[in-house]
Amino acid sequence: MNNISSMRKKHSLALAITLCMAAPLAQAGDLNFSGFLSVGGGMVDDENGPAYSGYDEEDLTFDNNLLGIQISGNVSDKLTATVQLTARSEKDYEVDAEWAYLSWQATENSKIRAGRLRTPFYMFSDFLDVGYAYAWISPPREVYYLPFNNVNGVDFYTTNTLGIFDTTFQAYFGGFDDELDLNNDGILEEAKTRNQMGVAGTLGKDWWTLRAAYHKADLWIDVTGISMPVFGTLGNFANALTNTYNLPANANKLLVEEDSVTFAEVGLNIDTGRFVAAIEYVEFEPDDALLSKNKRGYAMGGVRFGDWLVHLTASQSKDDASHPEAGIPVAPQTAPLIGALQAVAASQAIDRDVISIGTRWDVTTGTALKFQIDDVDDKNQGDQKVFSVALQTVF
Amino acid sequence: MKKFICAVATTLTLGLASATWAEVAVIVHPSAGFDSLSEDDISRLFLGKSKSFPAGAQAVPVNQNEGSAARDKFNEAVCKKNASQYKAYWSQLVFTGKGTPPKDAGDDAAVKALVAANPTMIGYIDASAVDASVKVVHKIP
Repeated sequence: MNNISSMRKKHSLALAITLCMAAPLAQAGDLNFSGFLSVGGGMVDDENGPAYSGYDEEDLTFDNNLLGIQISGNVSDKLTATVQLTARSEKDYEVDAEWAYLSWQATENSKIRAGRLRTPFYMFSDFLDVGYAYAWISPPREVYYLPFNNVNGVDFYTTNTLGIFDTTFQAYFGGFDDELDLNNDGILEEAKTRNQMGVAGTLGKDWWTLRAAYHKADLWIDVTGISMPVFGTLGNFANALTNTYNLPANANKLLVEEDSVTFAEVGLNIDTGRFVAAIEYVEFEPDDALLSKNKRGYAMGGVRFGDWLVHLTASQSKDDASHPEAGIPVAPQTAPLIGALQAVAASQAIDRDVISIGTRWDVTTGTALKFQIDDVDDKNQGDQKVFSVALQTVF
Repeated sequence: MKKFICAVATTLTLGLASATWAEVAVIVHPSAGFDSLSEDDISRLFLGKSKSFPAGAQAVPVNQNEGSAARDKFNEAVCKKNASQYKAYWSQLVFTGKGTPPKDAGDDAAVKALVAANPTMIGYIDASAVDASVKVVHKIP
């Protein structure tokens, strides 16, 4: 009860739907319960190197735990209500509704959902939290880095066949409010999207699935609190640009305010039974903002030996820094200003290679034990190795 | 923990049971307007890729309970997935609202009784349990 009352305002929609659902469902008595659990631990090789995967200590810590419960029930013949509640160790086990929606089966092959949904950014977005559903402990962080996992809105989902192929298509519209840690420094920035919309489609047959997705949104991130030399904060710097240097256009290129951003993804997933493979590539276009153009991808291959799966993944981030200094005439007296702007922009561009090797052992049906080693080569922050383990179940 | 012990126990039982190499029959209601289904048709129904029989009538697949020898043989032969892969496949759909796995309906007798009473249902049972109350549309040797 404490958890529910402490939920912040952003949870109110999900909560309202949950409560609306709860009344008729309690009477219907035909609820489906399912759940998943992940208990994970890890350590880094060098405490002086950069933190990665949420680990920054040389001693093994078990603080990557997650419990999820999904409850769904039929409100009527064609109307289903679903809520998925998760509690994460990293959020102090505060109960959060990741999904809470009403689903209307419009035709045999298509449904319309309204409420809080998972944003279909990636190939594994839908079951991101359900580690049991894939080979890694969690999908490669270089690519699965977007903080906006959910969206409050509506979507349309349909499955069809095209000749001998199976297809799916999803389109959604909505928005989301969140807090994110842009600089990985423990300071949370307020963020929101509005007019967020996107489409995702898959084409597959038996052992392979191709996927592509495209999203756009108006994005706000309050970056004014980011600390920087001389000016103290990025907000002070932007004010100085506007008021002292009379460069409001360049101040605008720093701030993330109603910037029209886009995100594109292509992917291929293969599972022949003996061999598994996945390739995914994403690009984020930041419009006129401090944020970099993110270009990220990974390729994974693995082999099953009975109840064991061994996999190898190469992932990469190669961002292009933005140019908030564009338009300032180059002169000796503007050089420090240009330098400061370029430095701030460069701090947002990640240039990193990661090689991961891991195993998955299916202990019993519904339970997998996983080990993983990530060898991180960050061109700006240095090298790191991360050793992690997780026990993941579905029930 | 109890579940874990159960799972270990069923795994052991299963190991013994599968040594019998029993034939599994895929069954539908006797009134069905077709006499056979291809492995691909059946696989699509049990993996949630299709919701109707090739002729167009609605189809409701039912599983045997986890750990049954017929279920494991069926999943391996038709769905091309072992018990863990089958579970992982469905966990990709269950937690997204994109699909619901076939209900676990019990053993040979329970599945046979359900299919015999429901013209939309399709199930599988040990071939030795087949009688006139159901129609066999596919056999897994």
